[in-house]
Amino acid sequence: MTTVQEDRAASVAERVAGIRRPRPRTSTIVSYAVIIGIAVLGVASFLSLDYSVRNIETTFGNISRFVASATPLEWPGWEVTATVQSDGTKTFVTEWAGWDPIRHVGGSIVTTLALVVAGTSLAALLSIPVAYGAARNTSPHPLVMVLCRGIGVVARAIPDVALVVFFAFLWFGAGTLAAIVGVGLHSVGMISKMMADSIEQIDEGPRLAVKATGGSTTQQFWAGVVPQALPAWIAVTLHRADINLRGTVILGFVGVAGLGYDLDDALHAGPSGMRRVIPIVLVIIALCIVFEILSSSIRARLLGVRPTGRGLGDTLVRAAQRRTARTAPAVATGPRADAIAERNQRIESALHRPWDRSRVTTTIWIWLGVAAIAFAYFYADPDVIRLVTGWRFDQVSNEALDRAVWPPNFGSRDWADVVGAVVTTLTVAFAATLMAAIISAIVGPLSARNVAPNGWVRNFFRGVALFVRAVPDLVVAILFILATGFGPQAAALALGVGGVGLLGKLIGDSMEEVPNGPERALAAAGGSRPQVFFSSTVPMSVPSLVSHLMYLLEQNVRAATLLGIVGGGGIGFLLMNALQGRHFDQVVAFLLVIIVMVVVIESVSILIRRALK
Amino acid sequence: MTTSDTPVVQITGLGKTYPGAREPALSGVSLSVARGEIVVLLGLSGSGKSTLLRHINGLETPTAGSVVSIGQDVRALKGRELRTLRGRIGFIFQQFELVGPLTVLENVLTGSLSTLRGPRVGTWSYPRESRLKALAHLERVGLLERAYQRADTLSGGQQQRVAIARALMQDPEILLADEPVASLDPESSSQVMSLIREIAAERGLTVVCSLHQVELALGWGDRVVGLRAGEVVLDTPTDDLSKDKVMEIYGRVATTTGELAAIEQELAEVREQLLSEELRKGAHEHELERDLDRGPDSEKS
Repeated sequence: MTTVQEDRAASVAERVAGIRRPRPRTSTIVSYAVIIGIAVLGVASFLSLDYSVRNIETTFGNISRFVASATPLEWPGWEVTATVQSDGTKTFVTEWAGWDPIRHVGGSIVTTLALVVAGTSLAALLSIPVAYGAARNTSPHPLVMVLCRGIGVVARAIPDVALVVFFAFLWFGAGTLAAIVGVGLHSVGMISKMMADSIEQIDEGPRLAVKATGGSTTQQFWAGVVPQALPAWIAVTLHRADINLRGTVILGFVGVAGLGYDLDDALHAGPSGMRRVIPIVLVIIALCIVFEILSSSIRARLLGVRPTGRGLGDTLVRAAQRRTARTAPAVATGPRADAIAERNQRIESALHRPWDRSRVTTTIWIWLGVAAIAFAYFYADPDVIRLVTGWRFDQVSNEALDRAVWPPNFGSRDWADVVGAVVTTLTVAFAATLMAAIISAIVGPLSARNVAPNGWVRNFFRGVALFVRAVPDLVVAILFILATGFGPQAAALALGVGGVGLLGKLIGDSMEEVPNGPERALAAAGGSRPQVFFSSTVPMSVPSLVSHLMYLLEQNVRAATLLGIVGGGGIGFLLMNALQGRHFDQVVAFLLVIIVMVVVIESVSILIRRALK
Repeated sequence: MTTSDTPVVQITGLGKTYPGAREPALSGVSLSVARGEIVVLLGLSGSGKSTLLRHINGLETPTAGSVVSIGQDVRALKGRELRTLRGRIGFIFQQFELVGPLTVLENVLTGSLSTLRGPRVGTWSYPRESRLKALAHLERVGLLERAYQRADTLSGGQQQRVAIARALMQDPEILLADEPVASLDPESSSQVMSLIREIAAERGLTVVCSLHQVELALGWGDRVVGLRAGEVVLDTPTDDLSKDKVMEIYGRVATTTGELAAIEQELAEVREQLLSEELRKGAHEHELERDLDRGPDSEKS
């Protein structure tokens, strides 16, 4: 008996040795290559950022010095006066200073919101033709498609700060026009891309039906495509408004009015100004959070969540409905001869749409939106006439003022400096991505329902990701950089922690979306929870994890460029220097470098994501 | 205008091979449809029914042969002229293809786009007469009360009736229907099919409708055209056509086991229907007689 079994075992071993292993799938190779690549580059970046003990000590010293100079906080409405005592210590007296500073902050909030709403709505409008040309199924010609997609990529790559400064000179003295157009043009990049994506995902049937009735291409677009893509368009616009609100902080540093400008002002106003810094930052954070809650609740409503019908609005709507019901004409029921007349009567009365709840709600939302946008333009009061007249080309082409746009050059820097700056920016991005990935590797899975040991753990980690996400990372990063006085190290740290909000949530979501059949099979076979996790959940979610990782990296490259502008180092720092010196030829040169950098990263990311499918 | 003798649709030697496809979707199809005729295209899925229908209003371009609809060579038309022709031909889709987020009324109004210039957004952007006309069509299909609902809140049968109203909005001379009831339950199916028949009678429409149910086709059309693998294998009026004969041809034209299985399935359905009909006959013989007396009259009228 035993010999038979041994023989069989031997023959099986022989056959196993003879099995040819199939080549691993491309997606597998790509996945692991990306993970290893980001790990290696991330570690290398982390090391090159030099988080040495001495550096950290200096950082802590800087932070405590900043906190010392920024406290006690001077909230708007109060005034802190410092008196130096005889023993050299300072005592502070906080006194009520009246309503004026509060009114000023209120004004700044409205200005900030007005610029955001005006710029974003402009972008939403401009995005329609760009998205029309960029979407595969509506584009009139392949060349138009390439052109429109190119517009999107370039618009995304050029930071709005650069556009705003440039336009401020082109339309010298045109008030908020430069800020609105700058924010608007930059936002076209993201809105048009996401709208083009949603146009490509529509149901083609209704469009074909409109075509079959004899509709022209334009009619097909407006009757068959737009109604389907409209919710996505509004949702993306709201999301972009969110991002633009955070971005206005940086715009303040180049002189755009609003909370960002107040912050910049406070930073340069000596000791009494420093005490105003933290309150302003807190106001900005609160504003961002409130705005995000508002925009995400509108977005949720757009995706089909219906109101419960207990609110004031619904009561009003019901009242209006009752009134319409009363005033509706009574339908006459007469002999057969009147049948036609009665039919016509019914049709005639149906000509006017009844004020039912859905119509009232839609109308209210539309007019609220229109009112908000109209108010934003009215309040911001851009000098719109300057769009068509009075372009100060002398301001951007005057060689005597050293402000000529052309030819682009690096000024006093050489290629080595520029490449070094790009490397610094990428270093920040990779180190931040690695940090976020490591923290999210814990937060993400534990916030997934099918991985977390119990509901409490899941809710806790979901809460952590939500909290980090709610805090505007860009604002915090700016404060952090200012506080520590450090460039790339602080930027990477801030982005790394901020990235947990995005990556943790995405990882949690994609692990919950994994088909749970195999998990149940392993659990039924007696596997422990960690065993199920590593043998089923992880292997099945690898492609989406890698895709999320690449998305975060893309975001971090952009954010690292922006943080450079406020002192995070890298190519953004060079851009800011050129902007401050009004050397537009250098600005153009650095922008070209940034565009190339972003395009390369995005193309690689697209290739990788395509290989994962 | 064409006279009643000249066919309203004249297809000669039509061939269509999609780019990249090995087998042609249609080959050597000839068909002529007289004004006011109700023609059923019968065939299994993939037999080329939809492709043939889409050639009639120029949604597809033929690779061989010619299509003449309402006296115009479809292949020669372009731009505005093609759109005008499409405006004179109503098309009903299997999946209704209404624009879900728009109201029912606006969906019906899109049927008048070929007569209007420029894009239209919102009900108010259509002329008042169009709106009245659209409402009258909605009244005709029994959905006037739903005029201001979102189209995607309606049931499948209701959506198909809205699609019929949209086609009526075009004041069509020809109505093409591509498997109009394949996505509907039996009750809605019979509602929609009889609605199309009634409307055709009211307006003297020419109808070309593709179906895959033999039973339905025989009771409904004036003439049956059978398609198999892109070729016409049967073209005969329904008067002298018994179900058995059609089934026989239907069975003979199938070659693959998949096709045979589909036919088996259909045969079983037909048998079941016959059985239940016989049961009903037994139960309400008198009623049935009355119905039979009235039946052909109402259908002819």
